[in-house]
Amino acid sequence: MIYIELFVSFLLIGFTSFGGMSMIPLINAEMLSHGWMTATEVSDIVAIAEMTPGPLGINCATFAGARVAGIPGALCASLGVLAPTLTLCMLAAVFLNKFKESRLLQNALYGIRPVCIGMIAAVIIQLSLTNYAGSLFGVSWQAILIGLASFAVLYFGKWSVSKTILLSAGLGLILGGL
Amino acid sequence: MRKKAEKGRVLSIFLTFLKFGCFTFGGGWSIVSQIQKEYVEDKHWITDEELLDFTSVGRSVPGLMISNASVLFGYHAAGFGGALAALAGICLPPIVIMYGVTFVYNLVHDNLYIARAMMGVRAAVVPIILCALLKLTKSALKDWLCWLVALGAAALSLFTGLSNILIVVLGAAAGLLAMEVKTRHDLH
Repeated sequence: MIYIELFVSFLLIGFTSFGGMSMIPLINAEMLSHGWMTATEVSDIVAIAEMTPGPLGINCATFAGARVAGIPGALCASLGVLAPTLTLCMLAAVFLNKFKESRLLQNALYGIRPVCIGMIAAVIIQLSLTNYAGSLFGVSWQAILIGLASFAVLYFGKWSVSKTILLSAGLGLILGGL
Repeated sequence: MRKKAEKGRVLSIFLTFLKFGCFTFGGGWSIVSQIQKEYVEDKHWITDEELLDFTSVGRSVPGLMISNASVLFGYHAAGFGGALAALAGICLPPIVIMYGVTFVYNLVHDNLYIARAMMGVRAAVVPIILCALLKLTKSALKDWLCWLVALGAAALSLFTGLSNILIVVLGAAAGLLAMEVKTRHDLH
């Protein structure tokens, strides 16, 4: 059943991600393997999630759930992604002081954090393959130009993400017609 | 006495987090700063140190850092009711807003001008993730072993059919093993 499938899929995403961007590789893989989104749509949802309030995971779960199975789908997917918060984090809240000093958790995180970095690097390469594909020798010069401009304002100009997205949408409108 | 005070808090937490939920842009740090302003500076329900604990525990438990931090704060302020109130408050606005956005997206994403703008936006997604990644490397890649694990994870994820979920589990195992070896080594 589609609702259970959505719930379980986002539950797995929830339990193996540790905040924010570390969720993108997991969402990308799950969405593509179920055929719920294309790589293009995953990029769209990342940008949309940056422009709308709330955690990235909730935004993605709602988007995917709603597209696949309407309002009940959106709720099942959101509940799935919240499962670790409702279980593990609730336990952590009750035993906060014991939890803070847990060596086991800190040691596991010592390996998990670099893994998240590695997976994010991998998803950057995967998303680049679709987002910069085009007709000129296989690449889109407009997309590459916009990508470089976005990196410059974000990294060197210290622009906010929402402002950068607005700029790139404007550039897309102008350059996309050429 | 405490129970009574907590009951009165549940509704107020729900309403305040409903407001937070409408203005949480750009990841986990915005919720932390909103809690700081409202509950550390204005209401004095918690201290800065407690908030720091919620943040670090919220980040080390799997799942969404924002919802984790909300639950930790809510439980601390008003028990299970408070935890659920904070969670419902922080999650309802994004779910409702995103549902509306999905509806509009389905209607307009084939429109020529929207498609052009989205081409531009998509081109900005990789730089956005890349900048976040560059910031993360500073705190997460502390030594050569971390770099090795990161490279290994990237290679596994790119070139093998191994699921990302399994890769995270392998990372946890590698972390436990490495720290175990390190402690034994230090003892001798």
